Order: sequence, then C-alpha cells, then structure tokens
Amino acid sequence: MNTIKVTINNTSYDVPANASILEVCKQVGVEILTMCHLKGITDIGACRLCLVEVEGVNKLLPSCTTKVVPNMIIYTETEKLKRYQRITTELFFAERNHMCAVCVANGQCELQELGYKVGLDAIRYPHLFPQCEVDTSHPWYVIDHNRCIMCTRCVRVCNEVEGAHNWDVMGRGHQVRIISDFNTPWGESITCTSCGKCLHACPTGAIWPKAIVQGQLNKNPGMITELVEKRCMKL
Amino acid sequence: MNVSVPLHEVDLPKSDPRVKLLAAKIKKEKYQPDALIEILHTAQNSYGYLPMNVLRYIARELKLPPSRVYSTVTFYHFFSLKSKGDHTCLVCTGTACYVKGAQQILAKIEEHFGLVPGQVSADGKLGIAAARCIGACGLAPAVVVDDEVQSMPQPEKIVSSIQEKLQAV
Repeated sequence: MNTIKVTINNTSYDVPANASILEVCKQVGVEILTMCHLKGITDIGACRLCLVEVEGVNKLLPSCTTKVVPNMIIYTETEKLKRYQRITTELFFAERNHMCAVCVANGQCELQELGYKVGLDAIRYPHLFPQCEVDTSHPWYVIDHNRCIMCTRCVRVCNEVEGAHNWDVMGRGHQVRIISDFNTPWGESITCTSCGKCLHACPTGAIWPKAIVQGQLNKNPGMITELVEKRCMKL
Repeated sequence: MNVSVPLHEVDLPKSDPRVKLLAAKIKKEKYQPDALIEILHTAQNSYGYLPMNVLRYIARELKLPPSRVYSTVTFYHFFSLKSKGDHTCLVCTGTACYVKGAQQILAKIEEHFGLVPGQVSADGKLGIAAARCIGACGLAPAVVVDDEVQSMPQPEKIVSSIQEKLQAV
C-alpha cells in the first residue's frame, strides 16, 4: 500500500494514501467528533462536526469527505474548531425537541455523548420547538421526528446496505423531514423490509423498537460496519 | 385511495392525452432514472401539478424508490403537489411593483374573488399566487395571468383581465 507523510497536530505520521482525514486520524489515535459518519456507509459531510483546519486552506474542511494528500498539515484541536463544535452541538439541541430524561436512548445516545464531550451546559440559541410527528404505524418500530437530527444515516443504510430505500428526505431548510415512501405512514410502506438496520444506525432515539421503555434502548451501530466489512471479504 | 397499493397495481387511464404525453416523454428518455426531473417537468406542465397517482406511475416506470421521487418533488419549489387552479394569477410583490401598488391589486382580487395568495377557488378554476420579483420591473406593477405578463397600473383592471381568462375556457 502506498504511504504518504502528513502532519497532524504537529506530529508527523506515515499514513496510507487515498484515505480520508477522518480514517487517518482514527488510525493514529487522534479523536475527531462525528455524527453523520458511520463506517460502512457513504460519508456526506453533513453534520459539520468533523471539521479540521488544513494549512494553506482558508476554510474548514470536513475530515470525512476530504482525502489526505502528501505533506498535508492538519490541525484538529484548535480553539476555533472547539468553538465551532460547541456551536454545532448547541444548534442540534435547539433545532428539535430533545428531552433526554424521557428518551428511550437516554445513556445510549450519540448526541447526548457529544454534549458531554464538548462540555455543553447551556444552549445560547432560542429553541425552535417545531411541531413534529411520532409515527407508530409500523408493527415493531417507531420513528419520532422530535429526536431526529437529520444525519440521514438511516436513509443511507436503507439505501446502501439493505437496498430498500424506504427512507428519504423531504423538503428543505429547517422544514426537512425523514419520509417513508410518499410521505406515507411507515406501517403502510411498500418498500420497507422491516430489517431494523435504521434503528441501529440512528445516533439518537429517533427510531426505536416498540416495547422498549425509557433508557432501555440497546443499539449496535457497529453491526452495520461489521455487515459491510463481511460482505466485502474475499471468501 | 389506499396509499399502500403496490406500485405495479397503479395504472393511469391510457386514453388520457396527458398520460400519453407523459408515457412518450418517459420512453424518449429511455426509462433512465436520472431523467426524473425532466419527466416531472413534463407531468407538471400537462397536469398543472403533480397528482399522487402520477408520482406512483413515474416511480414505477423509472424503477425509482417512491421516497426518492417524493423528496425530489418537495425539494424544488417549481413542483407542486396541490392543484394551483386551472387559471392562475401571479402578482409580483417585488420592490418596484410594491411601490407601484401591488397591494392594491391583491386587495382588489381579494375583494372580488375572495382569494389571497396561495389559495385556490373552491371550484378549482382560479389560483392566486404572489412572487417576490419576476424580473419585469419595467412593467411595474406586473402580474402574470396564465403565463402572460401584463402591466397593471390600474388595479381595477385586474378583475376584468382574470374574468376574460376564466370565460375563455
């Protein structure tokens, strides 16, 4: 494998060429916050949490969709980045109705974890408190749009791993919603195979199985990564 | 209509000229899924909006997931899921038209037809819309009645202009 030299936070590393900055950082043990990234599905750079500074580029680059190039000088822990990560996290919480205390994903939630990591103690932005639906029409699962952060991991997992493409995104701006088929109830979907991969991919408590009570959710997003890796293996 | 009808059971009346036009367009595009937007344009132009059974038909013909079709339709403002009315009147409320009295035109329309922008009359014959700027500031105040751009310096005249179109068909 071709290797190239890059500098991350003033330390030089030999890393594989043709990898994303995020992959490289993971490999050498530099932590980068992510939300819309899930190993195994396409990266889209939507959450803006994995932004890094690269010397010679005057804008912040999403590390998941930026490939490393030889002699790249990358910074992941600058004050500017920390400030932006904090802002992004606050906006996640202000956009919809996130109530951890009554959520099925309490303690199992990537958004909650992110809040702890950036040291969130208050949200400086006015909450939008939008009217969101809770769709309980599916016999086994529920989708609660109040807790959705529009990472579209469910959309990508349904399309790329399951191949059903039951989910997609409707509208634009802050009015975007995850939809099933023609914005019809999930239970009436003609494409959903009820495989349940979307609820494992969901970073928050927006999709969960029925018969689960507050804080009892047991999610395994790594299962999706494992599934994709095993499919790619040469047997 | 039951929403969970399998796509292969969706059929549009073959004798409908609009369906023929749509089918011809889909064939011309060789059933390519990437031609979705062009095909939606054709459908919107012939129906005036995008009825649900037409979306189902397009999804089936192009072998696209229904959610993909719906997300495309809702992303672009040009596409509409609701009927805009058989005849439409678009009043420009951009700066130049506003100054020249777009509000009086809208007031006249509301007084006479009882419709405000975004509404369609109960019989579906007339739809009223407002836009920010249609780029015809030289004609201010400008209105678009059935795709025909008109200058409307006297607000009273809008009523006769619309009625003319309503009586034409």
